[in-house]
Amino acid sequence: MNTELAVNGKPFVHQQGAHCETGVTSALFRYQGVDISEPMIFGISSGIFFGYLPFMKLTHLPISAFRSKPGSVFRKAAKRLGGDFVIKTYRDPQKGMDELREVLKTGQIVGLATNLYWLPYMSERHRWNFSGHNIIVIREIENGFRISDPTIGDLVDCSADGLAQARFVPGPMNPRGYMYYTKSVNPHPDLRQACIKGMKDSCNLMLKIPLPIFGVRGMRFLAKKVIKSPDKLGFQEACRHLAGTVRWVEETGTGGAGFRYLYAAFFHEAAGLFGSDELADMSKEMTAIGDNWREFSVTAARIIKQKDKEVETFAKAGSLILQCADREEAFFKKLQKVVGKLKA
Amino acid sequence: MELEDEIFDDGLPKAYYKQNDKGQYVLEKKANAPWAEKVSCSLIILANRANLEEIRNAVLAGQKSPLCYYMEMRQMTPGMLAKAAGIAAFRVKRHFRPEIFAKLKPSVLNRYSNALRISLEEIKIVPTI
Repeated sequence: MNTELAVNGKPFVHQQGAHCETGVTSALFRYQGVDISEPMIFGISSGIFFGYLPFMKLTHLPISAFRSKPGSVFRKAAKRLGGDFVIKTYRDPQKGMDELREVLKTGQIVGLATNLYWLPYMSERHRWNFSGHNIIVIREIENGFRISDPTIGDLVDCSADGLAQARFVPGPMNPRGYMYYTKSVNPHPDLRQACIKGMKDSCNLMLKIPLPIFGVRGMRFLAKKVIKSPDKLGFQEACRHLAGTVRWVEETGTGGAGFRYLYAAFFHEAAGLFGSDELADMSKEMTAIGDNWREFSVTAARIIKQKDKEVETFAKAGSLILQCADREEAFFKKLQKVVGKLKA
Repeated sequence: MELEDEIFDDGLPKAYYKQNDKGQYVLEKKANAPWAEKVSCSLIILANRANLEEIRNAVLAGQKSPLCYYMEMRQMTPGMLAKAAGIAAFRVKRHFRPEIFAKLKPSVLNRYSNALRISLEEIKIVPTI
């Protein structure tokens, strides 16, 4: 088993999760004695989202985010489940590391936001300049820290120097030593109320943001860009942009198909909680949407590999995204009605 | 071994949600990554490597300064490097020219070496393989 003792002797069990931030949040709650699963945290904190940000680029590729802003998952989950929690950022790296050590000495485990590029134990395929990767520090060891990274199966060691670098990256990508932990949590949280809040918030995020790059409208925007891309950028460059999108769908700790499977798992659990058949149906619909996204990424990979050139075109990839957008719009409109009927 | 498998054979497998026979969702640990993911990831990594190699050759040919190579290695843009080092973006771009980079004062080089986390000796040359 992957068990590690914190400073005060309390055991911490490491569990692998699909996504970093939900994994960290559920581990923090589990450590305080509230048994809550990763999909549940994802649903309650309304982690599902879509945003296409062509003006922000990482390694020359635009961002298409399938999740809400980094940092919001813990904040919203902690607020909705109730409890006493601390969120901090620092200007001075030395002060940030000192305070981390002090908090660890009191027997707390601490969640941190780090930059993926600078984490020493990451391999080449994970190393890119993204500052929203979340990890848990369990305790200090000789020359370093014992770290539980939910996207990795085992506990890892990290040098103090490497961690300081990953926490304080100079420049605009700086996570500023973002650090969070729970002092105490509500031992019997009102899950039903929290679920309803989370679902309503998700509906608003997906349908009601009046900007064309977020939510369902953002998907359509991306689809149009994908269809036009070979004419505008040339085949090679268009392939690279498409590969960048697929990486956001599959690779960045999404649990498959841009968090859609994770969200379906949440509805499956919520259906049991409320005893509602409608929610079980929603779960099936979300699974189908997830399969649709998967189909898009397979099509994209076939375009890149140049298999079946007549069938697998950029227009087909774009139309698959449009299909996803239509289905998700219908899904969240239905969810609005279903949530209204649920009673806390 | 193909390159795609080589990149993904790093001992850090991720977990994916999958449906089991009863329709419940379970987390499949240490699973193989989907094919689409492997293809697109290796494409991006290959493109990055090729880009870096191109810049290295340009530096050796005397067309660009080593600063450009190290910036690309850290996956930064001139704007990001400018903010990180505290030097105006137009100056950073100017320093990509080798003849101007060669005349830089140690104080300016120091700022770059702190921002890129590369030692002062290394920042003046690029690795020759």
